[in-house]
Amino acid sequence: MIEAHNLTRRYGDFTAVHGISFSVNEGEIVGMLGPNGAGKTTTIRMITGFLPPTGGRVTVAGKDLFESPREARRQLGYLPENVALYGEMRVEEYLAYRARLEGLSRAEAREAIGDSIERCLLTDVRHQVIGTLSKGYRQRVGLATAILHRPSTLVLDEPTVGLDPKQIIAIRELIRDLGRQRTLLLSTHILPEVELLCNRVMIIDRGRIVAEGTPEELRERSVGNPAVRVTLKGAPDAVAILGSVPGVAAVHPGRGDGGWLVEHTAGTDPREEIFRAAVARGWVLLEMARERTTLEDVFVRLTTHDQAGEAAAQEAPAETAAPVQDREDMDEVDATDDEEIPS
Amino acid sequence: MKAVWATYLRELRAYFFSPLAYLVLFFFLVINGITFYIVVASLSDPRSPAGQPLELFFGGTFLFWLVLLFITPVLTMRLISEELRSGSVEVLMTAPITEGQVVAGKYFAVLTFYAFLWAPTLAYAGIIAYNAKVDWGPVAAGYVGVLSLGALLLAMGTFASSVTKSQLVAAMITVALLIPLFLFGLVESLFNGDLAKQVIGVVGLASHMEEMAKGIIDTRRIVFYVSWSWFFLFLASRALEDKKWR
Repeated sequence: MIEAHNLTRRYGDFTAVHGISFSVNEGEIVGMLGPNGAGKTTTIRMITGFLPPTGGRVTVAGKDLFESPREARRQLGYLPENVALYGEMRVEEYLAYRARLEGLSRAEAREAIGDSIERCLLTDVRHQVIGTLSKGYRQRVGLATAILHRPSTLVLDEPTVGLDPKQIIAIRELIRDLGRQRTLLLSTHILPEVELLCNRVMIIDRGRIVAEGTPEELRERSVGNPAVRVTLKGAPDAVAILGSVPGVAAVHPGRGDGGWLVEHTAGTDPREEIFRAAVARGWVLLEMARERTTLEDVFVRLTTHDQAGEAAAQEAPAETAAPVQDREDMDEVDATDDEEIPS
Repeated sequence: MKAVWATYLRELRAYFFSPLAYLVLFFFLVINGITFYIVVASLSDPRSPAGQPLELFFGGTFLFWLVLLFITPVLTMRLISEELRSGSVEVLMTAPITEGQVVAGKYFAVLTFYAFLWAPTLAYAGIIAYNAKVDWGPVAAGYVGVLSLGALLLAMGTFASSVTKSQLVAAMITVALLIPLFLFGLVESLFNGDLAKQVIGVVGLASHMEEMAKGIIDTRRIVFYVSWSWFFLFLASRALEDKKWR
């Protein structure tokens, strides 16, 4: 359980975080979203006790982070954004060092090391020198470090950055598994990942929480009319006909040739009527599907502030979904599959 | 305590795995070999006064101070600066360990490595003992002197390493701290007052080593070195803590 009360952080005159309050319960995975510079990393650093807040309080598993830092830190596993390890050590040696640092006994350490090596898919490289590992492996060593002492609370800052598609799936599986019994706060740029993993989402912008709720709630709350995507062939008067279907609010040209986006009022479903209209006029109905609002839309809407920003944001979603990274061994698998997300 | 031990072991390992440490060891032994040659030459000279060889070996030569001026920054510059630069300080300081424990673990590791550098010179005493009679008391006192002096210098270096991300800057700060300290002993003759002479006599590093090499272990001096070492380590842990606030 993580509880943050009125957390504030100032750097000189600049206030990075303005009185944020939230809590993450046991058995819950909470995703933290926000554009770069929104105060995510600062918030995470305050929760993990690396950065003392200018104001406010944090408790981890019921222990105040500043009154009893050792007890609180023992309950905490942390994967920072930039995983920095000691390059001259071997994977197993590094984990042994961390186990000692966490105060595990020899027997506990042996078991914990074996366990986290296995869970983080590090078996092939356990004897390798960390300095020679690729970014993806180092990321996983960082994750192994975070879960090593079996903390009740985990804070993971971009855990799947730098992993290849297969590894991403495995690590997400691990995160989901960890989240069942633990308190898990996850910060990420990959929006589909949030929808896949998180029970709850927090969107942070300019040092404040601008939205909070389940992914579904956020989608419903912030978006206007629902819409249906239709592709028709041989339908010159589609705008007028589609516009006259009951419940339809507006018809916009959609993607591709003959594509339309039919906006309708909430609580109505015009799909059946559209189908009948097409049949009656002999149109060929190539495609019809509900247009799902993605978290990306919500995210962009909430974190865009002005006209100039609005224009930039048109391009932003793709970028946020699949951050451009070093070309090494990484690729985002599901940056574009926003239709397949299970609710 | 376990956390200090963990840091200590890791840091000590890091020394033995870095090529720089072996370079330092090589340089150190070459210079000490030269000093030993001077000592032996002095020993075989019937005109040299008794007791002088040890004074020569422990601080009596310019080379002794040169070596310390060189190895202190090289050994300490990496200690904390590297953690700050790479960002590993973040996972370190979110573990259940305090700043003071981090500094202590690292400091005792460098002190151990420093003692390791001196260990081969015990062979010199052995060589002489094989050929002649050695008065072991002053030899032991000499090593106590070398260690307490090292304790202070390395504490200063550790502090320098805690204030900057750059190893180079840390090394330069260390040298800047050491040079005035080394020169302090030289100005002794400039003062006339009794009190001033006495103060410098206690503080001066050169006179400290000279006395130790004569076999005089003065507890005042030991207290002086230990408390100043502690002071610099305290500053280092404060500097590390301060990094969080900015």
